[in-house]
Amino acid sequence: MKRFLMLGLLCWAELISAGAYAATQNFTLYIDAGTLTINGAGGTVIDVLSFSDGGMAMTSVPGPALSVSEGDAVNVTVVNRHTASHNFVVSGVSTDATAIAAGASRTYSFSAPAAGAYVYADTLNNNINREMGLYGALLVRPAGGGNTAWTGGPAYDFERLWVMGEMDKPRWNDMVAAGGTVNTSIYKPNYFTMNGLGGFDAMMDMGVMLHGAVGQTALVHIVNGGQFAHALHFHANHFKVIAINGVRQSEPFQERDTFSVPPFSTAEVLYTLNKPGDYPMHVHTAQMETANGVYLNGAATMIMAQ
Amino acid sequence: MKHTHKNILNPALLSLLLSAAVPVQAATINKTFCVSQTSKSLSGQSVTFWGYSDCGGGGMGGGGMGGMGSATIPGPLIEIGAGDTLNLSLNVGMMTPQEPSPYNGHTIHLHGADVMTSEDGTPETNGNVVNGDTYTWAPLANEAGSYPYHCHVHTVKHLEMGMYGAVVVRPRDAAGAFMKRITANAATAYDYEQVYVLSTVDPAYHTATMDSTVFGDYNAKYFLIGGKEGKTTSAPAMTLAAAKSKKAAFRLIGMHSTNATFGIKDSAGNLKPFTVYVEDGRALPTARTATSVDLSPGQRADLIVTLPSTTGTWYPQVTYKNLRDGGPLGTVFGKVTF
Ligand SMILES: [Cu+2]
Ligand SMILES: [Cu+2]
Repeated sequence: MKRFLMLGLLCWAELISAGAYAATQNFTLYIDAGTLTINGAGGTVIDVLSFSDGGMAMTSVPGPALSVSEGDAVNVTVVNRHTASHNFVVSGVSTDATAIAAGASRTYSFSAPAAGAYVYADTLNNNINREMGLYGALLVRPAGGGNTAWTGGPAYDFERLWVMGEMDKPRWNDMVAAGGTVNTSIYKPNYFTMNGLGGFDAMMDMGVMLHGAVGQTALVHIVNGGQFAHALHFHANHFKVIAINGVRQSEPFQERDTFSVPPFSTAEVLYTLNKPGDYPMHVHTAQMETANGVYLNGAATMIMAQ
Repeated sequence: MKHTHKNILNPALLSLLLSAAVPVQAATINKTFCVSQTSKSLSGQSVTFWGYSDCGGGGMGGGGMGGMGSATIPGPLIEIGAGDTLNLSLNVGMMTPQEPSPYNGHTIHLHGADVMTSEDGTPETNGNVVNGDTYTWAPLANEAGSYPYHCHVHTVKHLEMGMYGAVVVRPRDAAGAFMKRITANAATAYDYEQVYVLSTVDPAYHTATMDSTVFGDYNAKYFLIGGKEGKTTSAPAMTLAAAKSKKAAFRLIGMHSTNATFGIKDSAGNLKPFTVYVEDGRALPTARTATSVDLSPGQRADLIVTLPSTTGTWYPQVTYKNLRDGGPLGTVFGKVTF
């Protein structure tokens, strides 16, 4: 819960500061080892690594959402408080993949690309570092501000960021925590999350759920930090796919009810609440609906319209 | 469901009431399904399934028995017209195979149907009605295409058990007959049609029940189209005998739990182009001509291929792929002769 308030505040602050002029945006992220708790039946405590804003929690899976405007000069200083080397790469955006030694820090600089959602991660160690929780989202706002997906693009009433992820606790996280060697050829994730939450939490979390009045449109930024494709199925009504990996789709937008976001990729959809009631949104793939086999504590949330 | 306000909110009915000129005669289609246990031999191994059957013809399956009937995998094909009203009843009784509480009973979720929560078949959101219900859907004129239906109780188990099937929403002509078109658009006309329901089988899911760690790891072992393995071109899962130069429509419906790619190869192994007109029950803004289409779990594609003017055989096929890197897991073949 704390994590979401923090994410919310971050977005809020950035929205306030977003102006018509390219600015310099400075962020500091701290890498620490910690734990992620999956609540509810089937839940557990998983050893993780994460980027955080250095607050009290010291662990944040996913890492903080970095919110900037198109054209901003972005500097992300990463302080590596962990015992191994790490880096910070925004997929398709930043090019400096230099490793930071244990105890050192480095500032990664890039120019904010076209408005949209992007995924960042530690790309070192054969996906192990990302699997351990070192991933998050970069959200780029239109230069002129306003509630459109991009300048002159489709309008929305509210937005959500869904950072999808999975973890193979026994074979990857437990192995790393025990100092062993992960056999990366085998990956059988048994926990599936939205914004670091299992379904039992995400179906009640106001920062994840799509809730509002009938007629309102949500811009949903879907960022897949995991290694599995996530096929998101929305009940109640179809949605428009407006961008894939930050690349705008042409209008009129295609309407779908299920969309697959490949590993380490992003998609953005417009979902209009067109009828009252409660409906689920879930990944449509067998085990991904569960927490270690316990149904609905996987990648799932709720759609609630009044 | 029985709420009286439902029809007031039904957009299809509203548009009919408000429309000055009703173009086609809309029908009301009533069906009743039961659930029963069956088994299939897959690569020589016997696997237990639960499936739907049509038990609405009186006699079998009425009353409180429920478990009567002969399930098929996939379940019966449901054909309705755009603008029609489907009332799909599910009969669940004391003989119906099911899990203990809280995963007892069954529903029918009309996947991709934009229906009110009372018709959605999701027990977590519609008052936990899992002992039989009627699901009403009136697809709009622009919603022609292919849809799955499936049970939404303990979905990780029940869908895998075989509780799925296809709904094809067809355009109707002025006389009220189904048109051989994907949508009302004349460009989507075809001569032949094949419904390919894609599914995968992890036999461990078929014996495990309740909250088992088995459901935390999916290992697809058998790969199906229309409930059949079709592992070689000489033993295809689906066959179509067509005429040269005609058009064949393929309706791909993803009820699998892996990734998948569909393509059509000639006997020399060359990929043949086709045109996708509808995905997830919605016409593409611009039809897409391609030699492959990816389907994730839950997705659909309605496409048309034009057969050549010379005699031959083509092999439509689905390659199932893992979710991590898209590596191939297995290929299921269909066959078209012309
Ligand atoms: Cu069921
Ligand atoms: Cu579904």
